[in-house]
Amino acid sequence: MSGPIVLGIETSCDETGVAVLEGFDVRSSVLASQVDEHARFGGVVPEVAARAHVEAIRPLAHQAITKAGIHPDQIDAVAVTRGPGLVGALTVGYAYGKSLAYSMQRPLYGIDHMEGHLFAPRLAFEGYEPPAVVLLASGGHSQIVHVKAWGDYEILGGTIDDAAGEAFDKLARYMGLGFPGGPAIDQESSDGDPSAVDFPRALRDRPYDFSFSGLKTSVVTYLDKARDDGSLPSRPDVAASLQEAIVDVLIDKTFNAVEATGVEVIGAGGGVLANRRLREKFQEEADRRGVGLFIPSPALCTDNGAMIASVAVDRITDGHEPDPWTLDVDPSMRLGS
Amino acid sequence: MRTLAIETATAASSVAIGEGTTLRGMSVNVDSRGHVGFLVSAIDHCLANAGWKPEDIELVAVDVGPGPYTGLRSGIATAQAFAAAVGAQMAPISSLTVIAVRAATGRRRIWPVVDMRRGQVAVQPFRPLPGGVAPDGAAEVVDPDDFKAILESEAGDSLVVGDWHCLPDATWTGLHRVRRGRPRFPSAETMLEISDMLARHDKLTNAEDIRPRYMREPDVQINWSTFRSEGMWPDG
Ligand SMILES: [Zn+2]
Repeated sequence: MSGPIVLGIETSCDETGVAVLEGFDVRSSVLASQVDEHARFGGVVPEVAARAHVEAIRPLAHQAITKAGIHPDQIDAVAVTRGPGLVGALTVGYAYGKSLAYSMQRPLYGIDHMEGHLFAPRLAFEGYEPPAVVLLASGGHSQIVHVKAWGDYEILGGTIDDAAGEAFDKLARYMGLGFPGGPAIDQESSDGDPSAVDFPRALRDRPYDFSFSGLKTSVVTYLDKARDDGSLPSRPDVAASLQEAIVDVLIDKTFNAVEATGVEVIGAGGGVLANRRLREKFQEEADRRGVGLFIPSPALCTDNGAMIASVAVDRITDGHEPDPWTLDVDPSMRLGS
Repeated sequence: MRTLAIETATAASSVAIGEGTTLRGMSVNVDSRGHVGFLVSAIDHCLANAGWKPEDIELVAVDVGPGPYTGLRSGIATAQAFAAAVGAQMAPISSLTVIAVRAATGRRRIWPVVDMRRGQVAVQPFRPLPGGVAPDGAAEVVDPDDFKAILESEAGDSLVVGDWHCLPDATWTGLHRVRRGRPRFPSAETMLEISDMLARHDKLTNAEDIRPRYMREPDVQINWSTFRSEGMWPDG
């Protein structure tokens, strides 16, 4: 596959990601994860994240170019996440990418982080094409998006309170499983019975929305009561059961959107899609219904520079104008608006 | 040496280009939030007016603080990317030095002030020399009362410069040997002079050695009661 060579930079939250794409071909993708730095605080600390990005960005950019086996002169464009995300974190990547683009005299494309997640399956699959319904679930966002065409999006629904990843983090903390919660609960669930406790699958009357705060409250209430009357199940059973509740809600709501729109293509992305049970059950349900499901590898589901570059590849191919040098980050950027 | 200087440590950011100490272009921004929207467009404007291309720049000078962090990081990320792309050397410069160099004083000890927000300031003593200044103690971040105590303990006359306007009026009452003066903010134009001096003394460095001078640990609010909870299972 060929196409423009694009350097992609992602710094919206707690991962610094830089990648080089040639068309939709990933020549290199490197990451500096800050997970250990934030784990000691039990969550992402914005100032800690921004400090780590400014340390990591220059060596990572260098590493991505070296690994791609290209000379910097071969870069056709620079793509950087412009929002949504933590303002201090976004600023580091956008300032770096913009200055790099300018000093190399190349166009700059500021990219919506969520559109990056929407695009990530394109880096792994040929058949992932609109119209499609895409589930985006991470520590910061949970949305169901109707992709009518590339660049034409309608948000059908999403969380009305906590993001799915946030629910995993809070519940893992409550259960003494540490941070980040998603991988911890995934791991703990391995030996658990997902039907041990029947946690509620909330918001039955709102087809595309979820409330993870509601689920969290019911889990906490249940656990407190079970502990008091001595009926507390094992921790793996509780982990597997609450994971099952989150997984069911995400899948059910996505298929509600699939039915309503009549699409035959489903995509998914965001860190929560690294969850093994979610991937497995999602695939079973898609197979049962005969719908195409496109979930890329966990490395492409979590934040990375390749997904950001991939949106720019599409923009360049479509002849879109690059960003003017006067633009700044937009922490509250919203897909489809 | 064709130099680009980037100043984002305070509420007034600026960009300057020069040949050695000779200014060839300058742009100033007083919107303290708009660093990233300002910097590259300002650099582009300066270079275009001078008829220079980015690769003509041989040295990138950047203010590494102390100062509010988001501004510092905008300037440092911009400077590092630029230097990396065009293969320029770098000159990291302290905001306090940039202010002190411009202070007009004969013999008074100079105390530049940078607003660090949350009621604190960064300060450092400098002593005047013929044609410049020299640091005369370490930089520190202090509360207004502490700064007042420092000034009260000074044996000689002092000149406070920089953003002392952010300090409460009570800071100055009863301080008879202290005068206040200008400049209020560091300027990229002044950085050309300092970077030229660093170049002549072989004190330039590369992008990998540039770090923001934060001078404060990140503010982290941790709810230890929930974070330290062992969970409800005995093996938690
Ligand atoms: Zn994300």
